[in-house]
Amino acid sequence: MGTARNGDEDVVIKASLISKYFPGVIALDNVDFEVRKGETHALVGENGAGKSTLMKILYREYSEDAGSLYIDGKNAKGMGIRQVRNLGLSLIHQDLNLVPVFTVAHNVCMGLEPVNKLGFIDWKELKQKAAPYLKEISSDIDLDAKVEELSNSQQQLVTVARALVAHPRFLILDEPTARLDQKSTEALFDFLDRCKEKGITIIYISHRLEEIYRLCDRITVLRDGEKVLTAPVQELAQTELVKHMVGRELKQQIPKGEASIGEVVFSVRNLNPMAKAKDISFDLHSGEILGIVGSIGAGKSEVARAIFGADRKQSGVIRMQGEELKIRDPRDAIDAGIALVPEERRKQGLVTTESIRKNMTLPSLGKNFCAGGFWIKQRKEKEAVAKSIKDFRLATPSPEQEARLLSGGTQQKVVIGKWLLSDSKIYIFDEPTKGIDVGGKHDIYKMIVDLAKNGAGVIFISNELDEVLALCDRTLIMFNGRLVKEVINKDTTKNELLFYVMGGKDNGSKSG
Amino acid sequence: MGQKADNWNKFIANYGLLLAFLLAIIVFSLWSENFLRWGNVQNILIQTTSLGVCAFGLTLIMMMGEIDLSYAGLTGMIGAVMLKMIMAGYSPVSVVFVCLAIGMASGLCIAILVVGLRMSSFMVTLAAWFIYMGLERYIGHGVTHWIYKYDENILKIVQGHAGPLPVPIIIMLGLFLLCWLFQTRTRTGQYILALGENIEAVKEVGLKANLLKGGTFVAGGLIFGLTGLIETLRIGGSMVYSGRFLLIYALGAVFLGSAAFKAGKYNFPGTLLGALFFYTIINGLTLNMVKFYYIPLVQGLFLILAVAITTVKRGEIEQVQF
Ligand SMILES: Nc1ncnc2c1ncn2[C@@H]1O[C@H](COP(=O)(O)OP(=O)(O)OP(=O)(O)O)[C@@H](O)[C@H]1O
Ligand SMILES: [Mg+2]
Repeated sequence: MGTARNGDEDVVIKASLISKYFPGVIALDNVDFEVRKGETHALVGENGAGKSTLMKILYREYSEDAGSLYIDGKNAKGMGIRQVRNLGLSLIHQDLNLVPVFTVAHNVCMGLEPVNKLGFIDWKELKQKAAPYLKEISSDIDLDAKVEELSNSQQQLVTVARALVAHPRFLILDEPTARLDQKSTEALFDFLDRCKEKGITIIYISHRLEEIYRLCDRITVLRDGEKVLTAPVQELAQTELVKHMVGRELKQQIPKGEASIGEVVFSVRNLNPMAKAKDISFDLHSGEILGIVGSIGAGKSEVARAIFGADRKQSGVIRMQGEELKIRDPRDAIDAGIALVPEERRKQGLVTTESIRKNMTLPSLGKNFCAGGFWIKQRKEKEAVAKSIKDFRLATPSPEQEARLLSGGTQQKVVIGKWLLSDSKIYIFDEPTKGIDVGGKHDIYKMIVDLAKNGAGVIFISNELDEVLALCDRTLIMFNGRLVKEVINKDTTKNELLFYVMGGKDNGSKSG
Repeated sequence: MGQKADNWNKFIANYGLLLAFLLAIIVFSLWSENFLRWGNVQNILIQTTSLGVCAFGLTLIMMMGEIDLSYAGLTGMIGAVMLKMIMAGYSPVSVVFVCLAIGMASGLCIAILVVGLRMSSFMVTLAAWFIYMGLERYIGHGVTHWIYKYDENILKIVQGHAGPLPVPIIIMLGLFLLCWLFQTRTRTGQYILALGENIEAVKEVGLKANLLKGGTFVAGGLIFGLTGLIETLRIGGSMVYSGRFLLIYALGAVFLGSAAFKAGKYNFPGTLLGALFFYTIINGLTLNMVKFYYIPLVQGLFLILAVAITTVKRGEIEQVQF
């Protein structure tokens, strides 16, 4: 059978001419998708391209409106989640579908809890049962901790462990790294390497193309619900791949022109948030994009949240154009002209059961869209939202679509869009490009550059050194809760940034 | 802001309601020496029975993120049906059986509409309440009948003793234990809680979320059927709209209970405490000949006090945690 290497025998997941319609949306349009035994298959495409929908169809969470599906040679048409799980297929969702009040061990073993003779759950055995699966992926999560007490990154690892309990032969991961910190990402990759050695077939979704080149064998590109191509990863250069995903040529990675930096508009002195960060002081100029980098846990988000009044702070002075601000809660910050795009957007920034339009105009309703402070100016509101949808290329049938029905990345874009409509003086972005596709990132960079051009001050918090390097004018580096270094981006390199992010010191081992 | 203050806040958030309850008991026992007499304590427990039972069913349903108001009408309708049966000479066993069957059938209908047809549980069960109210009128013609005139045997269910305790108390505490163990110890019980917390997590692992939800509505219906039975026997007859007072009290007990033990979450010990709270206040005030119209007033004040303690303290905890 040597000649049939790429023939049908090798194909373990075969979806043919799959179509899926939602009201007003063609999520998938006659998509063919084939996965071979033991390969790691990347699935890429812009936000709203239909990746998650296709995976949910494989997992039988959705049923297709047309098409056929064979898993391991068996017709999966009439199957439910339970049956495909028994076939050995596990899906790690883009959303963390965990029970927050249950322990880690219980979430891992959910659905398969061991019981004693009385029919009661045997908690001790449950813990023992969960332990080896969690160990595969993490060594520092407490099995007895409630899931709600964990960080996002840890929660994501719990979902991986939960998928393992079913002993999958086919493992689907839908943007697993969007929530993971550096260390956990490494752990996940090691784990995936081990899976490959065991011959587990993997389908991997991510917007981070380097990950795909690092992990995957073949790649399938979706665009607007249609399949564009499937090809071996080596045969597809990154620029080529991006072109297929976006369907247009992206000019340059970051569209940054000459910055015109003005006076100091905003200054922070000796800020002490309640947790993690200490003694933070910096200035921000008008027209400037100021980067803040540091590994996860360095305290970047805490600084942002303390400035914005989302958390209480112990002490510190914040001045806008020389005038001291009293910020007790986010309302004060918004009134003073500060906008924060938070990190965990789905949770912190979105009313999921409301429409895109209402979500977008919520923070600025009183300021920009009300006549006499009472009646909403509906025309103006609609026009502004329509423009944002176009500028941002949001994948949605209408501005009235409920936010929860949007794809994961599109939800992120809505939250960013909502703050861009707010007409603020200072913008703080906390990891704005997480979970956003290449084209979308490009759009966001452009928006940020435009904001700065129009004289706003921008604070840009990110883990991705490349984008900080290219987008920002100046960068602050945090380590262990303190500002350890400030660099001018023109005069620095990625290696220098990395050096300080990892905790390097000026008079230490570094030469030059 | 030490660990100590933090623990203290947590303690108050979880046990504030219990403290308020104990406070009420102390006040009443100082006020009237009869309050803590065993006979009076039994009285309170017996009076709480139908509210407690009803609130357990409601807790189960609210735990999974739904609501069921049908009990407010079901109780009265079951009363009317019972009287019809008793007057026609049916045996106590068959009467009990029919009451429970009506409850389950009601739960099943609600399950079909809410889970099967995806209608809102609030609207469906509100409608059910009205329908049952209409049926009660239709069956009983709005006339009050007393059971003792037709069949004394069936009244023994609520008048008898099992060991030292009157049967109603046994029923309530037994049901409490059953619900509590079921919810905290069994897989199904834990899945019901998970439904309310994050239904996607239940579906994701291949569990039949809809079946679970439907089953819980039926179980709730069964408990409401039991409520109707007990309430009718306790009153000793079919009174017009007898379940109506339960509406607010049962909701109140469940909400109040969610402020206790597992701050912010519905739980059975909390519900039991909430139900006892209401009747303790009624009893304590009545013993001291306080005018009846002051009773809801005092209950309301206590409610606000209890909830204030727990939320203020809980708010502080949350802020520290962020
Ligand atoms: N339950 C739903 N109801 C209505 N529309 C939906 C639903 N689920 C997805 N959609 C729509 O289907 C399209 C595809 O969504 P999908 O979640 O598959 O995108 P995706 O490729 O996973 O995007 P992302 O990278 O942002 O996660 C989107 O336009 C989305 O709005
Ligand atoms: Mg997706």
